[in-house]
Amino acid sequence: MRRRDFLLSGTVLPGLFAPLFQPSHLEAFQTAQTPEVTLPLKADSVRFIAIGDMGTGERPQYELAERMEEFRKKTDFKFAIMLGDNIYGGKSPGDLARKFEAPYKTLLDAGVQFFAALGNHDDISERFYKYFNMNGKQYFTFKKNNVRFYSLDSVYMDRTQLAWLENELANAGNDWKICYFHHPLYSSGGFHGSSTELRQVLEPVLVKYGVQVVFAGHEHLYERVKPQKGIYYFTEGASGELRAGDLKKTNMTEVGYDRDRSFLAVEISGDELYFQTVTRTGKTVDSGVIRKPEQAKAGATK
Amino acid sequence: MQNWPSLSRYGSLLSGLIVAAAMSVAAAQSSSNPGGTIPPAAPDFGDFGARVQKYVAYRQPIRDALPHLRSTKNRTEILARKQQLAQKLREGRANAAQGDIFTAENSAQFRRAIAAVFNGANARSVRKTVRQGEPVGDWKPTVNGEFPARMPSTTVPPTLLLRLPALPSQLAYRLVGHDFVLYDIEANMVIDFIPGALP
Repeated sequence: MRRRDFLLSGTVLPGLFAPLFQPSHLEAFQTAQTPEVTLPLKADSVRFIAIGDMGTGERPQYELAERMEEFRKKTDFKFAIMLGDNIYGGKSPGDLARKFEAPYKTLLDAGVQFFAALGNHDDISERFYKYFNMNGKQYFTFKKNNVRFYSLDSVYMDRTQLAWLENELANAGNDWKICYFHHPLYSSGGFHGSSTELRQVLEPVLVKYGVQVVFAGHEHLYERVKPQKGIYYFTEGASGELRAGDLKKTNMTEVGYDRDRSFLAVEISGDELYFQTVTRTGKTVDSGVIRKPEQAKAGATK
Repeated sequence: MQNWPSLSRYGSLLSGLIVAAAMSVAAAQSSSNPGGTIPPAAPDFGDFGARVQKYVAYRQPIRDALPHLRSTKNRTEILARKQQLAQKLREGRANAAQGDIFTAENSAQFRRAIAAVFNGANARSVRKTVRQGEPVGDWKPTVNGEFPARMPSTTVPPTLLLRLPALPSQLAYRLVGHDFVLYDIEANMVIDFIPGALP
């Protein structure tokens, strides 16, 4: 990296350099507060966060990571799911250090695991990057207590992947079934909107096998969509990138936020899934609970 | 015609078996559809499948001769492995040319399938899928060429993928501008492409 780039990006000391060049970030930095926690923090629950479109290596990503660490100290979440576009631009070792390892160092040091899905800006070889826990696979599944996660590759949804997913879901039993991938099947984002063609091939499988919740990114905002065919959809694509003002609320929008970066925290205990969306300044912009089975209504509060 | 080493050069009964196994696994995965939610597999397009198998048979011993790549925190190791494989593959197919795998005959079948999807009832949605991939228009594929790391992956419309022959796991289709590309995933390398296949 050239020295000038190093200084401008604030790679090592973002708090020192970035305000000199990005005054708007100074305001956010000064007004940030430690997030309050609305999750119930029940014994033996599964706690994680969802982040998407984060891998810019720029100051807002670092600032949000600070809120994530503060939140972790209060909630002891154990892992994060990454909704794609994990690394923007270059993919050199230095890029991965600056866009992933440095911003999330305190989380990594605390033992937080990251389970990635690939986005259109990711390199497929990221599946061998150990921190992403993909074990060389473009799509995979893992289980935490009574929750089964499916990380899918929405950039390349071919017959083989669909058949794999169908087999896995068919054998998942009564666990929570949570799918996550990059392109949102339902979105009120103005830039991309819903991935309707992906929806055409994927949604029948999700519905048939009782997937309860889907997380996606791609649109650089946060949105919780009203349940569609019994499935709850969240878009969290503002954990690094942001397209401010791009949320064009539609009749499917339950709650949305497009003014700042954010992450989505989730706690699952028995048949209840609690969620809380936290911004870079530590503000909670959405929270609520979803009950299994999928016909349950979200008792959401703003 | 490309100058890939023939299967016999490796005396590769083993390679043949590996390829056959890989293809049968792919076929088994493709046909494995317990709920019937996925449309039936597309038929192969002429000799396309055989040409793909020949490429896989060519690459398998080269790949097997390299150290096995495991997940690592060392990004340099991942990139080096990718480049090593690509370099070795290029050495053995230095004269490979556009049209070696996508022949005129099977290209016509691909073009028809692509046109049917891009001009069909679902055309608007299909084109939106491509746009959502934030396609980059100023890069042209070349046989044996490397994909730029910074270039976003244009989503291949899933309804198109369902109409195309299944590929072994080492390969994928990609869209680059108006070109339709056959891509080696591990080597990050263009194997062949159909120029101007996309409207």
